[in-house]
Amino acid sequence: MGVILTQSRSWLIAALLLTGSRAAIAQTIAVSGNPGLLRINNAVAGSEPIAVTNGSTTYTVTTPAPNRTYKVTAQLNAAMPADVTLTATFAAPTGATSIGPVALDLTARDVVTGIPRNTNSTQGITYELSATVAAGVVTSSSRIVTLTIIRFP
Amino acid sequence: MNTRQLVATMALLAGAASAAAAQTATQTVTFQVDAINQIAFAGSPSLVINAATAGSDPTSATAAATWAVTTNQTGAKITASIGSNMPAGLTLSADLSAPAGAASAGSQALSTTSTDLVTSITKLAQGALGVTYSLTATAAAGVVSSTTRTVTYTITGGT
Repeated sequence: MGVILTQSRSWLIAALLLTGSRAAIAQTIAVSGNPGLLRINNAVAGSEPIAVTNGSTTYTVTTPAPNRTYKVTAQLNAAMPADVTLTATFAAPTGATSIGPVALDLTARDVVTGIPRNTNSTQGITYELSATVAAGVVTSSSRIVTLTIIRFP
Repeated sequence: MNTRQLVATMALLAGAASAAAAQTATQTVTFQVDAINQIAFAGSPSLVINAATAGSDPTSATAAATWAVTTNQTGAKITASIGSNMPAGLTLSADLSAPAGAASAGSQALSTTSTDLVTSITKLAQGALGVTYSLTATAAAGVVSSTTRTVTYTITGGT
């Protein structure tokens, strides 16, 4: 009985150590900074204003060893002005899938799926701002884009 | 709960915590849309007066062209002028079709002074709009050899 109890305690310690280890290597996501001003200021006569893009920033994802896959979502902290659209395209790490251009709003939208385990990859983010003439003039405004990496499925 | 049950429970809790874990990062995106007012005109019309009905002034000539506009403002307008006035007895006029919701001033004689041709243009992008140029002459104008005028159109943004 005493031997069994000793073995169980060892198992408990091992399990706790394992749990701590897993927490230390959870999936992570980081960004390189903020993109520069996206400013629409031109159009071809007869057509809607010309959209502008910014591809100056990157994101870095790391995923732990267990055999799981992950995805990245993106969402805004506030809705865009009427008739103005902010679209994001996230390049995918090896083995993952980019959803392509995604119009951002208050809902968390998938931007990259199927990120494999043991990934440590930095990829580009391209933002595009488009507006119709109905948007009118929009003074300088900001939105916070929250990127989240979670297990999926 | 014995030791094995305790360990199993903790392992399940740890697993659940791991499954719910989510990591986030944020970016601040700044944007703006400036006032945009663009117009374009296509075509270089040629106008020749070479006939008349006996007893009347010469028959006027007309020519067609097209124009397009984009504005994201309210109440923009189009004006036009020419670089130098027309010879005596000759009148060059332009008539621009109005885009949706705007107002055309109809056929307006052009001179070195800007004149309104279309007003109340509000937040639209529209092309393939018609322009009709007309040249009229009185008999007093006499014979006028080939000459040109450059018509300058200007869009003035609204609010």
